[in-house]
Amino acid sequence: MKKWASLIIAAAFVFGPMTAHADLKALEEAAKKEGELTWYVAHYTSEGAEELGSVFTRMYGIKVNVVRTTAQVAYQRLTQDIKNNQTICDVFSSTDLGHYARLKAEAKFEKYTPENTAKISEVFRNIDPDGFFHTTAAGQVVLTYNTIKVKAEEAPKSWQDLLNPKWKGKVSTGHPAFSGYVGTWVYSMKKLYGWKYFEQLEKNKPQIGRSINDTVTALNAGERQVAAGADGSTLFSAARGNPLAVNYPTDGSILIISPSSIVKGTKHPNAARLYMEFLMSPEASEINVKHFGIPIRPEVKGAPGTQPIDKIKVIRPTVAEIDKGIPVVIEEWRDTFRN
Amino acid sequence: MRIGGWDATWLLWIAIIAVLLFLVVSPFVYLVLTSFQAEGTGAFTFQNYATAYGRARYIDALFNSLQLGAGAALLAGVLAVPLAWGCSRTNMPGRGFVRMLVLATFITPPYTGAVAWILLAGPNAGWLNRIYVMLTGAEAGPFNIYSFPGLVVVIALYSFPYIFIFTSAALELVSSEMEDAANILGAGTWRTMRKVTLPLAIPAILGGLIICFLEAIALFASPAMIAIPARFNVVTTQLFQFFGNPVRVEVAAAYAMPLLGVTVLLALVQRLMTHRKSFATLTGKGGERRPIDLGSGRWLLFAYAMFVASLSVFLPYIFLVQAAFAKAWGRGFAWDNLSFRNFHFVLFEHATAAQSVWNAFLYAGIAATAGVIITLGVAYIVARRLVPFGGLLAFLCVAPFVIPGVVLAIGFYAAYAPPPLALYGTAMILILAFTTRFLPIGYVNASAAIRSINPEMEEAVRVLGGSRLTALRRVVAPLLKRNLLGAWLLIFIPATRELSSAIFLYGPSTKVVSVMIFDMSEEGNFEYLAALALILQILTLPLLYIGQRALGRDFMLRRTVT
Repeated sequence: MKKWASLIIAAAFVFGPMTAHADLKALEEAAKKEGELTWYVAHYTSEGAEELGSVFTRMYGIKVNVVRTTAQVAYQRLTQDIKNNQTICDVFSSTDLGHYARLKAEAKFEKYTPENTAKISEVFRNIDPDGFFHTTAAGQVVLTYNTIKVKAEEAPKSWQDLLNPKWKGKVSTGHPAFSGYVGTWVYSMKKLYGWKYFEQLEKNKPQIGRSINDTVTALNAGERQVAAGADGSTLFSAARGNPLAVNYPTDGSILIISPSSIVKGTKHPNAARLYMEFLMSPEASEINVKHFGIPIRPEVKGAPGTQPIDKIKVIRPTVAEIDKGIPVVIEEWRDTFRN
Repeated sequence: MRIGGWDATWLLWIAIIAVLLFLVVSPFVYLVLTSFQAEGTGAFTFQNYATAYGRARYIDALFNSLQLGAGAALLAGVLAVPLAWGCSRTNMPGRGFVRMLVLATFITPPYTGAVAWILLAGPNAGWLNRIYVMLTGAEAGPFNIYSFPGLVVVIALYSFPYIFIFTSAALELVSSEMEDAANILGAGTWRTMRKVTLPLAIPAILGGLIICFLEAIALFASPAMIAIPARFNVVTTQLFQFFGNPVRVEVAAAYAMPLLGVTVLLALVQRLMTHRKSFATLTGKGGERRPIDLGSGRWLLFAYAMFVASLSVFLPYIFLVQAAFAKAWGRGFAWDNLSFRNFHFVLFEHATAAQSVWNAFLYAGIAATAGVIITLGVAYIVARRLVPFGGLLAFLCVAPFVIPGVVLAIGFYAAYAPPPLALYGTAMILILAFTTRFLPIGYVNASAAIRSINPEMEEAVRVLGGSRLTALRRVVAPLLKRNLLGAWLLIFIPATRELSSAIFLYGPSTKVVSVMIFDMSEEGNFEYLAALALILQILTLPLLYIGQRALGRDFMLRRTVT
């Protein structure tokens, strides 16, 4: 059954869109028999992840066990599973590209190239030439601020502005040892300005949470006024009436490519494949846009108030840079911030 | 028949000792062995110790824990002792009410308290600071939860009931005659309390302080929520980092040793102190006990009790409720900020939150049942002297008391997560860990209950030809129904909120509510988190009611484990 389905998928690739419809149907039928899948996810906010899971369940009647944590916690969980010879997670969605490089090298992923990979925007395609992981979400680390406490003209415009002493006791960040977004941001800042950037930031006594989404809460509560936050979760919260706004930094916002993979030995291979297809579908992009994420499908427009990434300065570290860089900056961070 | 009974008892003895070896001894042995094993190969090495103590940051965390424990214990003593004295020895008004508030504090999980205090004393947005700014017009308020003193306060506020329990148990045994003697010799109320009453209770107070200290250094959640933003590490958060990416169980085991050592040592000291018989005045026999008339001072004491209760119960719950029903907690009390969305989300939209509540209650229920059965068996065997070395069984039952939750969890992980048992990620490993963790509570209660039964009744069964097991099942258990229910609840209630061992052992499908709450704190989702925490508290209320009906209002505030 499994072989048969994958043959069909392979055939779908060869024969192109003509047979696509029928083949996805076959995958769907096989997936429905498996009935459920477990998704370790660090993309999106909790609400965004839960909504994607429940829409998938509504579409196909397949239950999704959504396990939303920060990227490093998800990775720790998965490696712990693997060490104990357990396959609990079917689809793994982290925000730290390094995880994919490492797990691919250790042969922990199933190779699967979703049919939808050809239909996502050019910039997100082919992040792994060997087809073990694929972009399923994207977001940015940008400057965010509380609009009641900070006037638009006074808000920080560049990453350098966060070092201004006027923000002492007013900055909020996540923690690179938890969040993939924060890890990628810290790596990029170090590359741009050297580690002294964080030694200076430390003088402003930032409040350090764990998830990058924690900065949203810190700003909403008025606990802090400016932050290195995620565009999606910040704008989503702003749309709900909270006093938040973003600035795309002039020295570049950090583009976070968030891939997904099927874990080797998955007990629900068809459901996992169908889920990969789903994550790259227009429906998933629509939900993403609702939560102010960057749509990876070109036909889906970005949310109102967001800037398309081809219109702004974007920093995009490579997979190899992130793989090597994040573990290093986590240690440096702990030495500087003592947490 | 006689021979058969003897055999059955021995079989039971062997079974129980096997269970205890499995639950208590083996995780402990594995913990120690693992700390000397190289990762992967299992070869003998000291490298784990070198890694665990090889950085200044790691050593700092050890000292931070010691300071944290000492600070929290002392502050808890200041909070608890006057209340205990007021409730058990004086005519302070509202004594029942104060006891009820101490109970409310006691059943508030430390992580729920920590979250409430983040809402109260966040440096800029915290309600206390906002109120202070509003009243004084100052730039900023003085409170900062994200600091070392902040953590000390939060831990002290939710561990002072231990000292309260110890102190009032001792004070209730001091007879008024001694105080009368002091009065006759010319000492006033204050002097009598200072020179007579309190010194008699000192061993108990110190015992309570030690329990608080041990509680504080073993806590995981409050430090994880507060110490990361406050920028310091303690032993438990450092252990969690070793369990992080990549998982280094061996290093974690090595790093857990000082925590274990300190706990064993202090538990011994505490035992020597509270079980010392030199204070023959505390026999509990004879002597009349009258409340001391404090005059108008009784209102002062009552005011102090209300002050403590506002910090531990009133203020935290007001703002937890506010957050649970708010769209955004920082926006305060406004109609347009009111919403049931948070409850709807955690109960119906979230894939695993409701499940996590059910998991917690299910696992706690099984663990409590197993714990009561095991400890009842052991207590019976020990009390009736059915086998030699019964004391050994008793010792094994109370031994987990000296193993901090996180350390116990690492031992369980090392022993049972990998094959052959491969319990990683299963409900079983959580249930086993919970059972072990709360065995001491079960044992102390079961053995007190057994000792209250006269053996003659069982002997009647034996004379009529029934076996020991029949006697146990048909006579002893029915007679002890209430006590067993009490023991069951005393395990069940804390097990439903246990976090420090669960955090290392849960799997995605076995998440319990405490872990769920902790996960929600990652994103700072205090609104959802408050809703879930309140649901947990509300579900506990019927259990408290049952316990109080069966065992009296104070059933959770008696001295149950020492």
